[in-house]
Amino acid sequence: MTSSANSTKSSELARIAAEAAGTYFSSVQFTLTHGPLPMTTLGAEPDKEDPNSWPTDFCHFSAAGLSVSTSIWPSAMSAFSGRVQIGPDELAEQPDTYAYSGYAVPNPGFLNQSTRKVEVLITLGTAHWSPTYRETLMQALIIEKLTGLAAERGSPVLHLHTPVAPVPLSVRSQRGDGSSERLRDAIGPCLRFSIGVDPQMSAARLDFETELAALAEEYGFGLKIDDQRLHRVRGEWFTIRGFDRERHRQARGRLFPEAPVHTPRRAVIASIVGPSRTGTTAATVAALRARGIGVLAASISSMRKTTFINLILPVAADAPGTSGAWTGSWLDALPWLSSVAGGTDDRSAAADGSIADWKVAVSPVMRCTYPPSSQQTGATTTGRVPYPIWLWWQLPHRTVDTPALLAEVQAAMEPHTRRCEIAYAQSRLCRGDVVRGRAKLIVMLSQEHRDHAAVQRLLTDATEAAQLRIREWIPTVGGVDPSKVRLRLSPRERWLTYADISA
Amino acid sequence: MTVHIRGQSAVAGRSAGGPLDPLRTLIQAVPVPTAPLTFPSREAALGLALMDLSFRLDHVPRLSEHLTLMDRGHMSREISVDVDLDLISGRLRDTLLVPGEGTSLWVPVSRYSRRDLAPAVIRDSRGEVVPRLSHRDANRVTAAAFVKLLAMLINAHDDVATPASPIHQLRHTHQRSRWLIEAAITELVMVGAPAGQRLHTPLDHAELPEPVGTSGSVRKLALLGLDALFPAEGGHRLLMPFARLLQLATRQYILVAQLGLDRPRRFLSWEAPLLPAQHRPAPLQSLAKNVLPVNREFVVEYETEIPRAVKAYHLTLEVRQEISVRRFVMSSDVDEEFVEVLAEDLESVARRADRLGTHHKLLELEMQSIASRLAELGRRRLVDLAGYESYLARLPIPVGAPGGEQRRMTAEEVIAALSAGDCSLDVLAAFCAHYATDSMQHLARSGLAGPALLNIAAGLRAAQVGRDVTTDSDPREHGGHAHWRRPSADLSPQSTEPVRVVAFMALADEAPALIESITRMVAGLFLVVLGIGTLLSGGVAWLYSWRVAGGFVPAQADAVVAVLLLVPGLLLARLDLPGTKSVLGQLHRFQRALAAASVVVTTALAIVVGTVESDRTMTRFFQAALAVLMVILLCCLCEFYARRIHRSSAVPRSARVPRWLRDARRSTRRTVEPDDFFDARGEM
Repeated sequence: MTSSANSTKSSELARIAAEAAGTYFSSVQFTLTHGPLPMTTLGAEPDKEDPNSWPTDFCHFSAAGLSVSTSIWPSAMSAFSGRVQIGPDELAEQPDTYAYSGYAVPNPGFLNQSTRKVEVLITLGTAHWSPTYRETLMQALIIEKLTGLAAERGSPVLHLHTPVAPVPLSVRSQRGDGSSERLRDAIGPCLRFSIGVDPQMSAARLDFETELAALAEEYGFGLKIDDQRLHRVRGEWFTIRGFDRERHRQARGRLFPEAPVHTPRRAVIASIVGPSRTGTTAATVAALRARGIGVLAASISSMRKTTFINLILPVAADAPGTSGAWTGSWLDALPWLSSVAGGTDDRSAAADGSIADWKVAVSPVMRCTYPPSSQQTGATTTGRVPYPIWLWWQLPHRTVDTPALLAEVQAAMEPHTRRCEIAYAQSRLCRGDVVRGRAKLIVMLSQEHRDHAAVQRLLTDATEAAQLRIREWIPTVGGVDPSKVRLRLSPRERWLTYADISA
Repeated sequence: MTVHIRGQSAVAGRSAGGPLDPLRTLIQAVPVPTAPLTFPSREAALGLALMDLSFRLDHVPRLSEHLTLMDRGHMSREISVDVDLDLISGRLRDTLLVPGEGTSLWVPVSRYSRRDLAPAVIRDSRGEVVPRLSHRDANRVTAAAFVKLLAMLINAHDDVATPASPIHQLRHTHQRSRWLIEAAITELVMVGAPAGQRLHTPLDHAELPEPVGTSGSVRKLALLGLDALFPAEGGHRLLMPFARLLQLATRQYILVAQLGLDRPRRFLSWEAPLLPAQHRPAPLQSLAKNVLPVNREFVVEYETEIPRAVKAYHLTLEVRQEISVRRFVMSSDVDEEFVEVLAEDLESVARRADRLGTHHKLLELEMQSIASRLAELGRRRLVDLAGYESYLARLPIPVGAPGGEQRRMTAEEVIAALSAGDCSLDVLAAFCAHYATDSMQHLARSGLAGPALLNIAAGLRAAQVGRDVTTDSDPREHGGHAHWRRPSADLSPQSTEPVRVVAFMALADEAPALIESITRMVAGLFLVVLGIGTLLSGGVAWLYSWRVAGGFVPAQADAVVAVLLLVPGLLLARLDLPGTKSVLGQLHRFQRALAAASVVVTTALAIVVGTVESDRTMTRFFQAALAVLMVILLCCLCEFYARRIHRSSAVPRSARVPRWLRDARRSTRRTVEPDDFFDARGEM
């Protein structure tokens, strides 16, 4: 490590410590909500009088008809045993919704601000997203391998999310600005994953990428890496390997010959919470897979130096599946999950001790559903295709709560759509007291069109109208100076970057 | 001599002076406490907030420094900053509130070396003095911050719940060792540890047996705990960040001002402590400059660090009106980290070219990523070069464009040049153009992928392409102003590493210069001697003939003596000769010697005229005096020639001017040390 990174890391250490050691705060408090879609209240309404009750970070994720929301804010609570504590389900105000609250001690030694991000898009299939048990196991294996590769190099997992929107193959005749690109499907059997690498250690990054490519070759999955050329933005990809359907099918069959090949109808949500460290995701998923439990959908992110591993786990068709919500430590959670999800409670598959101090919240067994269709399954003949819409915003802190903003975005899209749900949203408090967030919405247009250009025009019109409406709405609610509001909705992910100029 | 700590700390292994050595030394030396040190949590929070803000200074959007060269060896600095309190985040602001009143904040505005002990009086735009936090209090809250940080790191350590591990013992069972570390940190922060010096402790004076008893085991556990918390290898890689924080805290003070929240945007200024010059050039070199007719320049170099968050930095220089600022160039290392990362990428790819080659697209992605960065560097430096060329063109005595025709290169030529390690600006600019026109789309198959990348990495480092150039924009001759702006797209956005800025100033005596007056005087004296000699001998034959004409001895010697004494005296009195301590005195040193020599010659001739009565001797003396005056006149002409050379020099001959600029102007002359070097980085 050269000296130049030292000052950057030192000031990061000072920043984390300074934020953690604020006058009144010594830990963070979080709430976690599990429930089926549609969730009307994504998070608790903050007490507007108390400036400290505004959540600093928020994360929401939904898949297969189930959703998880997390809010986190600084807390004065300092006396509790261990590094993280989680209470039983008691906060829920609505039926079928389960809410937990807890506290965590942040880990100031987890320095990842100064790292360079490497983002990867993995394609595990080109068909409609409705994974079978076998595919969930395969997905778990791939998550385990990917995060294991990162952990071997001490690189933190910044973010992991599945299912996500697939990226259409680029065609040479494109204009390059994305305007003539094919519209993306809202979700597909794909996985997005980003790790932080110390920019000074390019050898580690290259080794990671090489081994990733070797894995892609072995398992036949498609691999795209974020375009690392200068001035390229998020959402621009560089294809390393295309998806190899035959090889992937063979690998799946060879590795999991006995797993059933039908789609799970029930699932549980498990949220595993603990202080951020490297190698935790790999340990979690490996322990589950050793018990025969796959991963249907996943969202992993770190907020305030606390990692939230939110997994939707398939429940075996023959499992009893009548249990209530459960919270407890990771080591106790494994037998519980095995009994609920119908895995084998294999005592010999000892859990990795590295996350022994983590806590888990498990929802009761819930029914899961799959989105109706996608372009690749021929839905274009009816025109009822769910399309993704990306949202990016930046607002002063303590003005508009993220759940309220998301609800308004849904309302603003309503005149143009027959269905609009939030697949993914994350916001965090950044330097300069602003909250920055990104979200992906899945919309189904109210007008059905089979013509690509017409759909594109409709989507653009809908997002521009909604964007205008939200920008007018924000100052009326939060009393915000409109010049400090930045928000952009776009049917193309990479166009979000221009928000700074257009807003 | 400046001590470059950053370079040292990077390579310092634990055996040869580890980064935490001062702390280890103090753990051995301070008495073992029997009760914990108590710092209020408020102080710890304030200390951490001050430390955090003082490193980044993102609430300071503009920084100006006004330099005045007092005399040779001393520089005074007036610093002014624009502070925007709205840029401090809400939670830090709560921590920084001054207790008791709740309407003002403690805001760090600068850091400076502990060696500069002169008081700094901060004034705002109205001229009112702004209250400051005393050094003692600033040190106290800094110590509290470190104690808190240590506690947080211990609490968050993986082993804190593992009984019998050193961390668990520090936290739960063997508290005295933790108190000892805390006491050592407090002592270190309070007393300070200057760079380049070993801490001097009582242990240096005593012959001690192997540590035994309670105190020995407490110290041993404290050191073990430190090792476990900051492992030298692997782990959380916390050692260097923590050590660097501690190092800065022990070598620098934070200047903290109390600012009211009612006016969030403020303008503050203060006189920084007087800066002494860091080193002098070698004696032989100085001697050569002083005794040869080289029309010397006085070269001053100034180095400082500015926070990366600063958007604009102004450096102004003022000197006496008699002195001209011949060149004023500033260079910052704003892209240095970017180039270093790029060079390391190049080396890594070169070493893995075979493995990457099996995944062709992966190699292509890497090559494209490298190409895009190379092209950007070429573009940026070309903009800098254009700025520098226009600066040369608008100088009072413009320097022309370099001769020779501009090379135009094809894509193949560019790749061949790069492969050979040629990272000159011509090649980079041509690469940029070819990249922008999509002629560099299949690099994985080109000759570039492979060992050639190592050459490029070496070439980039050698050419110092990470350093930019800013030029003088002050129209006055006796002043300079350079305005540096942060690039609109920061190439290393995550970095908070301060930007190192070096200013090069060449001070000279420009027309109407002393040398012109002296030349006139010497020429005058030459003519006087020539006239007297010609009149006495009755012809000009004495100038070239060895024969002695009769009657050279004047009948009225007194009149000739009076002329020979009065004329030079009057001429000399008309010259305004400066004192020897000043910069002007240094510039005029040789010229003053010339003037003095010419007067010595005429005075000696006057003595000869008054005392010698032989025509032959008199003639020989007149001939010798004329010859010496001729030599002096030639020296004066040499000075003019040397001045011409200095004026037409396109690039300063300084090692601190980026290599690419010297290469672009084909400057092959070796670099020279400056006459004065001022280091304001505050890490001494």
